[in-house]
Amino acid sequence: MKTDFIRKPLSLPSEAWINEQLAYYGGPAVIPEDSRKTTFPSITKEDIVQMLVSIQQSPEEVIHEFTEKYRGYVGANYAIATASGTSSLHLALVGVGVQPGDEVIVPAFTFIATAQAVVAAKAIPVFVDIDPLTYNLNPALVEQAITARTKVIMPVHVHGLPADLAQLRALADKHHLRLVEDASHAHSASIGGQLCGSIGDGAGQSLMADKNFPVGGEGGIAFFKERVDYERALTFLHETGIDYRMSWIAAAFGISQLERLPYYDAIRARNASYLTNILAQTRLFKGPYVPEGHKHSYNMYRIKLDPEAAGLGDLPDYQVKEAIQELAASEGVFAREWQNVPIPGHLPFQNRKGFGRGYPFTLSERKDFGYHIDHFPETLKMLRSTLTICRELRSPIEYERIAAYALAFQKIDANPSIIRELVLKNTAAKKSYERDARLG
Amino acid sequence: MAHTTIITAPEKVTPIIKKEQYFSLSFVLSRVLNSGVIMSIEKNENELKGLEKSIGKLTQSKYVSLFNSYTGAVHAALWGQDIVHGSLTRLEGASEQDQRFLNWLGVGLVTDAEVEQGFEKVSVTWDNLPLLEHELQQKLQQPPVLVLDFTELGFGPCAAIAANDESVWTKAERLKIFGAFDLKTMWTQEESEPDIQPGAQFNYRLSPLVAACVKLSLLRRNSSHED
Repeated sequence: MKTDFIRKPLSLPSEAWINEQLAYYGGPAVIPEDSRKTTFPSITKEDIVQMLVSIQQSPEEVIHEFTEKYRGYVGANYAIATASGTSSLHLALVGVGVQPGDEVIVPAFTFIATAQAVVAAKAIPVFVDIDPLTYNLNPALVEQAITARTKVIMPVHVHGLPADLAQLRALADKHHLRLVEDASHAHSASIGGQLCGSIGDGAGQSLMADKNFPVGGEGGIAFFKERVDYERALTFLHETGIDYRMSWIAAAFGISQLERLPYYDAIRARNASYLTNILAQTRLFKGPYVPEGHKHSYNMYRIKLDPEAAGLGDLPDYQVKEAIQELAASEGVFAREWQNVPIPGHLPFQNRKGFGRGYPFTLSERKDFGYHIDHFPETLKMLRSTLTICRELRSPIEYERIAAYALAFQKIDANPSIIRELVLKNTAAKKSYERDARLG
Repeated sequence: MAHTTIITAPEKVTPIIKKEQYFSLSFVLSRVLNSGVIMSIEKNENELKGLEKSIGKLTQSKYVSLFNSYTGAVHAALWGQDIVHGSLTRLEGASEQDQRFLNWLGVGLVTDAEVEQGFEKVSVTWDNLPLLEHELQQKLQQPPVLVLDFTELGFGPCAAIAANDESVWTKAERLKIFGAFDLKTMWTQEESEPDIQPGAQFNYRLSPLVAACVKLSLLRRNSSHED
């Protein structure tokens, strides 16, 4: 039988590691090669027992039980479990009344599914730049993007930091628009104690393998505030014949995993807090900004680089980033780009084939869809000057591992001259958005 | 008071699993749970490939693509043949669900025999599982694309397309966010391949846990309940 467990534990971390030679130049790596295996949530006896219970129920009963339990946890009024996060977003949009040819405002920095869900709803995604501090949709720029065709503002709680829903709600109300959350990164994240997914008129959330609440590999859930929107989504499924149902196996996993989600959340929050505190002591690195009253779920953790503070301000930011990425990788820390091109720069939006023959983009009277990446300077700047750790905070990451990550960043911070050396050596480095677009 | 209702496909309500099938389902699930299949999309890629391989052998097809629903597979079967919004196609024995779904895709359904059939379909159940080869042989006369629906096995919505034309498979995979190309490299389509550049994309990705269950069901289709 295969095991899910890591075979070799990490050594207890020591501050002495900071002063050792960088692994890039032959020193000992903070995380040795044989201890770098990514940890995933294990299947536990609770999962097995739940499966034995669920197998004796009808699929509908199992899915209903999961949906109802998670809906209650989130505090949403209505919910529909789905096969994926993308399908949940599609349903949320259709539920709040999006019609073919409508415009939906989304951030330029997100996962491509946010914007593809808009196309699935036969609507036109209108991209808006991000806030330079939170990296979420910038409410100050949203109003300029509203037209007579706009139906929905769809912020994304990127990486798990809730977007500024108060300001966006005010804008939505002012212009008689609906507010739909993309809460795919934001399980258990909240604003003023209210959980993401329950705040907007509608919401979609992914429950796939890489998420904080990963049920059985693939899944999603749509939430609604108003009964009429929920019923509109159900009617849409009936009228189109689309099968977006979740597998009952995923739902059964969801039932048992939900019991331990608060524990996993606490581990992630603890790890994030530890790392943020250590990074605050470095010159080069800074953890995520979290506004007062917002609870970040840390599905990912984006690190801001400050080359100037380390005496590297004369070098191009993207080259410094690339050098740090290389040094971190050799220490065993997979700090990387998550997204390298603003979403409007991806081929589906550059080419606008849609469902074929350009539909639904052909419904728009726009000559210019505003999809040139130069329209999004803050997103470009963020892509040039940040690195993301994606799985390193997730439970069950042990204390010694998060401590080792922190030590690796401290070790790099202690060596700005090596970073300079690498930058000067690697003159071929390109800005991330000058390369082909990556999905993640 | 707020409440939820479970959604079901309009035309195909999943039947409650029969008691005599509990053993088969339990056997398959317990084998899968003990196989180390956990919640990692990359690690579990082998489960998807394993199911694709099994279907390829069964259907004698070179290319197989998996989907998390029957309608996802239908979408891919059409998109793979460039039957897109504004196109016409013909389907023998089109169900009401087929008609509604094609209407939503913007694909017109005609009965004109001159129009090539869009795809052939087979629904796989515990009842026809032991006789699947025989059933497939009857369906494999001239179909450009075969859609196989495994949903009624009871593990959740699951379907596949099987084809011998590589371009059908390539385009079908492109329809999926995290299709074969994306998952391997995480890169989107390169500009140099304009024919298969993605348009609208859906997350039709099948859960590896469901794939593992279906694969095991296919592998033991000729076994009785004693193992």
